[in-house]
Amino acid sequence: MTEAKTRTRQATLGTAAAAGMLAAQIAAAAGLSVTGAAAAAPAAPAGCAALRDKYPELNGKTLVNAINPHTPGYEALDPNDPSKYIGFDIDLGETIGECLGFTLTYKPVTFAALLTTLSAGQADIVISDIYATQERAKAADFITYSKVFDGVLVAKGNLKKIDGINMSMCGTTAAENTGYVEVPLIQDLAPKCEAEGKPKPEIQLYDNNANCIQAILAGRADVYINDVNTVDQAVKAYPDQLEKATAVTLPYSVGIAVPRGNTKFRDAVLAALTEIQKAGIETDLLKKWSLDAGTLEAPKILSVD
Amino acid sequence: MELFLHYLTMPYLLWGIVFTIEVTVLGLLGGLVLGVVLAAMQLSRFKALAMLARGYTIIFRGTPLILQLVFAYDALPHLGLKLSALAAAGLALAANEAPFIAEIVRAGVRSVDRGQVLAGEALGMRPFTLMRHVVSPQAIRFMVPAFGNETISALKNSSLASVIAVQELTLRSTQLASSTFDFFSIFFASGLMYLALTGAVAAAQLMAEVMLDLDHPTPQARFARLMPWRRVAAEEPVMPADGEPPTETDVPSQAPPHLAVDRAKRVERLADAAAAVEIFRLRKTYGRQLVLNDLSLTVRLGEVVALLGPSGSGKSTLLRCINHIEEWDAGTIRVTGRRLGFDAAGRALGPKAVADERARVGVGMVFQQFNLFAHLTAKENIAGPLRWVHGMPADKAERRAIELLERVGLAHRADALPRHMSGGQQQRVAIARAVAPGPNVLLLDEPTSALDPELVSEVLDVIRRLAVEEGLTMIISTHQLRFAEEVADRVLFLAGGSIVEEGPAQEILSRPKNTRTRRFLQIMGASEAV
Repeated sequence: MTEAKTRTRQATLGTAAAAGMLAAQIAAAAGLSVTGAAAAAPAAPAGCAALRDKYPELNGKTLVNAINPHTPGYEALDPNDPSKYIGFDIDLGETIGECLGFTLTYKPVTFAALLTTLSAGQADIVISDIYATQERAKAADFITYSKVFDGVLVAKGNLKKIDGINMSMCGTTAAENTGYVEVPLIQDLAPKCEAEGKPKPEIQLYDNNANCIQAILAGRADVYINDVNTVDQAVKAYPDQLEKATAVTLPYSVGIAVPRGNTKFRDAVLAALTEIQKAGIETDLLKKWSLDAGTLEAPKILSVD
Repeated sequence: MELFLHYLTMPYLLWGIVFTIEVTVLGLLGGLVLGVVLAAMQLSRFKALAMLARGYTIIFRGTPLILQLVFAYDALPHLGLKLSALAAAGLALAANEAPFIAEIVRAGVRSVDRGQVLAGEALGMRPFTLMRHVVSPQAIRFMVPAFGNETISALKNSSLASVIAVQELTLRSTQLASSTFDFFSIFFASGLMYLALTGAVAAAQLMAEVMLDLDHPTPQARFARLMPWRRVAAEEPVMPADGEPPTETDVPSQAPPHLAVDRAKRVERLADAAAAVEIFRLRKTYGRQLVLNDLSLTVRLGEVVALLGPSGSGKSTLLRCINHIEEWDAGTIRVTGRRLGFDAAGRALGPKAVADERARVGVGMVFQQFNLFAHLTAKENIAGPLRWVHGMPADKAERRAIELLERVGLAHRADALPRHMSGGQQQRVAIARAVAPGPNVLLLDEPTSALDPELVSEVLDVIRRLAVEEGLTMIISTHQLRFAEEVADRVLFLAGGSIVEEGPAQEILSRPKNTRTRRFLQIMGASEAV
């Protein structure tokens, strides 16, 4: 239902003729096989020329994008050419780069280290499927662009009958990544479970998405809650062993993190992202990577400054 | 299996090995440099340096490497030092390895027998010379297995650099596993790559051990030993000469010279001779125990003095003070008129200056436990110090060594290692070593006490000939009464850190006045008769 609505909205957004043609090209490329990210990155929309004039200091620069490349669909190695990273976030970043005239190199770090790497100056930007929260905004400014939908990944059959971040999780074991927003949400269940005389949920913390999926496969954990598209990818990879119990909405948005205080760069990224979304390119990219469950939002800034 | 082979030969992963090796090499080399510095600080005589090194060790050995990596990568930029991922990983690994390597180095240095260090000091070696030629070669041999361990551990620890985005093998494997979902074939492949690396290190360690093995002097024999099938055969012929009992013909034996005839002449000559050693009111305590109690003594050039006395009477301490390898509390010692270890104003000199002065003044020392340099042949034990301390050219030092070995009857053992020689032979080499630079004074600290009874005479013969033929000034602490009577011009009887009786050898030994001397001589005489 939601997905259908999203799709129609996205279709109406993608009106520009040039962008439409591009979208067709992208769809064709995606249909054939996953090619290199740079080749697939669409050309910048028309409004970008003005942005390049407005922010000349970014033009021609090479910036470092810190990513946690363990989430196929968003960011992961290209299995056909491991020297490259591919995924929605990679394409989005390169499109923004193209719009503003900069190129990106990548720095693979653990999820928990994304923002520390940024604030240490070891990276200039983080585009890695990270949810913008008030907590995280203490470490970086965010430009948000999409609502968060989480999937609940369980072993085939869902023996524990888990149906969301709710009382059905009492007494179960959840696998999560260190630093994920789901961690405190699950922790908050503990007092409620105990109030009902049930055991509280246990949390196992891992370093990346793949380790969480392995924890479910190995029977060490009962449930893994993460971005719904990531969960779908996992189910696609192990259709006989895993299933998505349900999807839930979280009160967050996905965002691009940039260093705090550098408002000029932040505004440039915001402007570029707005242009890209308006031209329908973001929608096309979501389609290319089969991330249909995402819900676009108009880009916004989250900053505690 | 097919997937496994695919990943095993995948260039992306194989290139990851290069980063793994780079991080490891950076960490080990940096750790080695820093570790040697730390070890030197801890072994130094300056307390503050040792404390500093201790503090470093506590911090960097006591915190996890992963935290140190994150610190080097994410915290240093806030302090204005932004290193590349590889450099940050190398720095953190080096900082982490250093205290471990320092402990290995320290253990290696301490594994070298203290007696050899004393012998080196007595020969006038500067601290650095001693470290370079005596301690290091032996310590390194001791340290090889631990270094092998440390290398392997560093290699595996390098995988932690994956947390700071170094594209090494582990990071590449985990990323690849995430994108392909081929978890196990990838990790088996990278596991095998690590095994190949650690296996190579283990092989290198084994090679190093064999190459450094002193019992296999020729390179061919060392390599042959690596081959398992040659092992048994190669182990067998261990220095055939080793089993041979030292024949008495080793020493060109002569009848002891009839000293009695010359005695009067000697006494006359000595009375006019200049002082070789002058000791004035020497006092030394160990804690609350008084070892030397205001002892004064003058030994003339060419005089042979025997020190007698029960164990703990201060004989050894007195000898060690004379060439200043032991400190004392009060009093002065002059050797050929100079205060060894003090400048003109009476200030104590540093270890290097003391060493140089020891070499210049010329005080040779022979120890109860021989203290030959265990890694050097008999010839090198003599020739080495001549080159290192006295700057003698190699060929001249070698000729001098051979000449001396001939004189102590050991020319045929010139290339033997100390451990392949009998105690008597070792002590004869030690005497040759002490005499080689032509010292003014030779100190002998119970030179026959550690020897089996049947080996005592060969050593005494050598000493006797030195006394007579060379006219060397000698101070000998000994329990050999007959020998003392025969060789010494004067006998001193020490008890409780004082000279309780002294006089011409025959007089003291046959007609002791002091009751303690008498009792001691009775006991010793009885045991010598057995």
